[in-house]
Amino acid sequence: MSAEEPGRVRAAVGLGGDDGDEVGPGVAALAGAVAAAVLSPLAWLLLRATEIDPAAALSLVTSPTATEVLANSLLLVGVVTSASVLLGVPLAVLTVQTDLPFRRLWTVLVALPLVVPSYIGAFAYVSAFGPNGELADLLGPFGVSVPTVYGLPGTALVLTLFVYPYVFLTTRASLLSFDDSQLEAARTLNDGYLAAFRRVILPQITSGVTAGALLVALYVLSDFGTPAIMRFDVFTRVIYVELNSFGVGRANATLLSLELLAVTAVVLALESRVGGDETAGYGTPASATPVVSLGRYRWVAAALPALVTLFTLALPVGVLAMWLVRSGPGYAGGGLAFRPAFAANSVYVAAVAAGATVVLALPVAYYAGRSDSWFARATERATYLGYAMPGVVLGLALVFFGIRYAPALYQTLPLLVFAYVVRFLPQAVGSTRSSVLGVDRQLLGAARVLGASRRRTFRRVTLPLVAPGLLAGAALVFLTTMKELDTTLILHPTGFTTLVTYIWRVQEAGYYGRAALPALVLVVVSGLSMIPLLRQGGDDA
Amino acid sequence: MTDPTGDRRRFLAAVGAAGAAGLAGCSGFGGLDGSDAGTDAAANASGSTAGFTEFRGSGPLAEGRGEFGGTRIADLPDLSGELTVYLGGGEGGLYRDLVSILQEIYPDFRVNLRESGTADAANTIIGEGEATPADVFWSVDAGSLAAVANEGLTATLPAAVVDPVPQTFHPDDEWVGVAGRARSIPYNTDALSAEGVPESVMTIPDRPDLAGSMGWAPTYGAFQAFVTAMRILEGEGTTREWLSAMVEAGVTEYSNEFLVSNAVADGEIDAGFANHYYALRVQASRPDAPVDLAFTSGDAGGLINAAGAAVLAPTDAQQLANTFVRHLLSAEAQEFFATRTYAYPMVEGIPPVGGLPSIDELNPPDIDLGRLSNLQPTLELMREVGVL
Repeated sequence: MSAEEPGRVRAAVGLGGDDGDEVGPGVAALAGAVAAAVLSPLAWLLLRATEIDPAAALSLVTSPTATEVLANSLLLVGVVTSASVLLGVPLAVLTVQTDLPFRRLWTVLVALPLVVPSYIGAFAYVSAFGPNGELADLLGPFGVSVPTVYGLPGTALVLTLFVYPYVFLTTRASLLSFDDSQLEAARTLNDGYLAAFRRVILPQITSGVTAGALLVALYVLSDFGTPAIMRFDVFTRVIYVELNSFGVGRANATLLSLELLAVTAVVLALESRVGGDETAGYGTPASATPVVSLGRYRWVAAALPALVTLFTLALPVGVLAMWLVRSGPGYAGGGLAFRPAFAANSVYVAAVAAGATVVLALPVAYYAGRSDSWFARATERATYLGYAMPGVVLGLALVFFGIRYAPALYQTLPLLVFAYVVRFLPQAVGSTRSSVLGVDRQLLGAARVLGASRRRTFRRVTLPLVAPGLLAGAALVFLTTMKELDTTLILHPTGFTTLVTYIWRVQEAGYYGRAALPALVLVVVSGLSMIPLLRQGGDDA
Repeated sequence: MTDPTGDRRRFLAAVGAAGAAGLAGCSGFGGLDGSDAGTDAAANASGSTAGFTEFRGSGPLAEGRGEFGGTRIADLPDLSGELTVYLGGGEGGLYRDLVSILQEIYPDFRVNLRESGTADAANTIIGEGEATPADVFWSVDAGSLAAVANEGLTATLPAAVVDPVPQTFHPDDEWVGVAGRARSIPYNTDALSAEGVPESVMTIPDRPDLAGSMGWAPTYGAFQAFVTAMRILEGEGTTREWLSAMVEAGVTEYSNEFLVSNAVADGEIDAGFANHYYALRVQASRPDAPVDLAFTSGDAGGLINAAGAAVLAPTDAQQLANTFVRHLLSAEAQEFFATRTYAYPMVEGIPPVGGLPSIDELNPPDIDLGRLSNLQPTLELMREVGVL
């Protein structure tokens, strides 16, 4: 321990070098082990890929279809990420820093779209705006034609509407931890709000915005439901089609998945560059009092969150309600009726996944937040790869390994929870790491100088300070687990029915009426998990 | 609750009392009004129909059916023990209901049922390989069964299991069809007459009156199987031309075939491409909907795909698994598939519901259903033409 003393002192006085020895080797090893574990399913892809003749592989990867799919995926990621920033950042600023009417209500409402599973959101959109949708029926007699929802515009629109809250939430967290006195200082220097925003606020919230944008970009890369329903050829849709065609299709799906992960790696590398410098620990909690008066534009400004709420919540819930009302016998179908136990199963497994994920995220986030070494950086980045693995591919990888190397765990909850951890770890790592960065290092230095051991310092000082970040991470993991379909279908314990597997079962046979109630339950229960996310930053205190 | 074994005895007694009831005369093209199928059988049936009614669905399409021939559950060896069954598809939980009924009959019998998509289930079994915990793979698509068989993971079914089923639905005895799903053309009876529907799918793009008023669901597995059949029967060039011509004529896309059939009933489109039971499902919920079914003959449009079952080679419960599959082919289970999922029964003597033509009358194309798993070239073709 004493060997590390100089590093600690340097860090404590703000001279932290890049050796990163402030963090003990135990934490580094733990973080490395977590990263290795979540990367392990990748081995399955490599194993499958070796079955393909290299020449065939090359021709597949460079085929016109593959290039087109690559271009489409990149385009979609670019459009949705930009649009999410353009939507999420203004909404965060409006709800945090202005005197928008019903600020608290809007905060909740504009964060909620995250709980709507994309397959339900997309389905509601097709049902409302499709060529034969409800809206076309409604407006048709008036000679109003509804614009088509298929292809890039529709896919990008629907994805943006349901994933921009990632940017909203991370930006909001940054804004809340932003010290208003700096803004006041800028404004006393006669800067207008916009100029002050550019010069003072923007540089400090950049890391929050990019963290959200990264989650959006990776979500878009791995989402299967929306592009499939909205008919836009991206990696996941093609991978799925290939997997459905067996034989050579399975190998093709593997190759495309690897290509998808390569794209992910590039996105991750890019994000590290623009991620901004976030070494500053600005420990003072911000006051949540609005700093900008919108004056008579208050009500005009409220139109933005109102419109967003209309399209992200009112519309899908309305469509679900319509299915519910409409269910005649043919829509209702047979089979097991919906039971509250399915909701209980969903909540249970999502809660376990959330707990497991934050426990594993902590060493990774702590290490990445406290050390500047390349290994810390690599460890943290590596955990993001699993997030971009399509659920079906991850599920099949764990089938292969599970049954061979952990037969006792196969088709049990622990393996299913592990799959969720692989998928959603970065959501917890991101928010926890921000909290770790937010801890004033001088506090830690003080604790150590007072003779507290590193472990005790962590427990007494760091942990309480990062708890809000952990909780926010847990909430995010909880709600994404609630709506995760593919891995759940492939890895669930036999006889364990959840909300999403039930929705899948009835919807697959065309019994939409039967899907409405569980879908509404899913949205409401997941909505409750937003509470800790929104309490973060003391807004409700 | 009464003693379960007592229940069982009574149940089987009722089934036995019904005996070998009369065979329903197949009724041909009776429309979907459910009038004639099975009525003479109902007249012949004597004694209790408790056995059948437990398996039979309700609603206008299932009414008026009597007892039919075929092997009864009472004639089969008992089911006793535990089976793990992977289910691909499953008709929204209806297959689960059938399993529940069987478990009620046999208190010593337990099925662990895992549901997922047909391809997911097949890929899972292939991934598990020899270590698979599954004893039976039961799937709504023959292609997925063939894919598992191609990996050498299925056990050859004994003659006693497959014999009641026409050869087409057990091409190599590695799997056996338990319920048929016919391709069909649902049409709106206000817009078209039965004679107005083309006799061959291949001529549909040439019909000016149908231009712009047809619907399909190209991302749907059953539709892709239909295009695969066309590719095998007519060749790639002709299939490509057919697809392009359909696109040029203007065809409306839906995300699945229930929605296609529903749109036909609503009059949004005059006709569409769909598996036959979707129109029946629409009919069951809206008896007055102006929708009827037409079947083309001897071409890809007349394809009959099958939901089927395979016993997996690594199982150590092969005997029980075989007996389970035989139960799926019993008269009672066949009645279940016919009246609840509106599928084509696979054994002789059980007619389909609602005056559907019998399988013999349909004249499906001569095609090995196992070849439907070769989807890759189909998808390439569909992408080339721009329908995928």
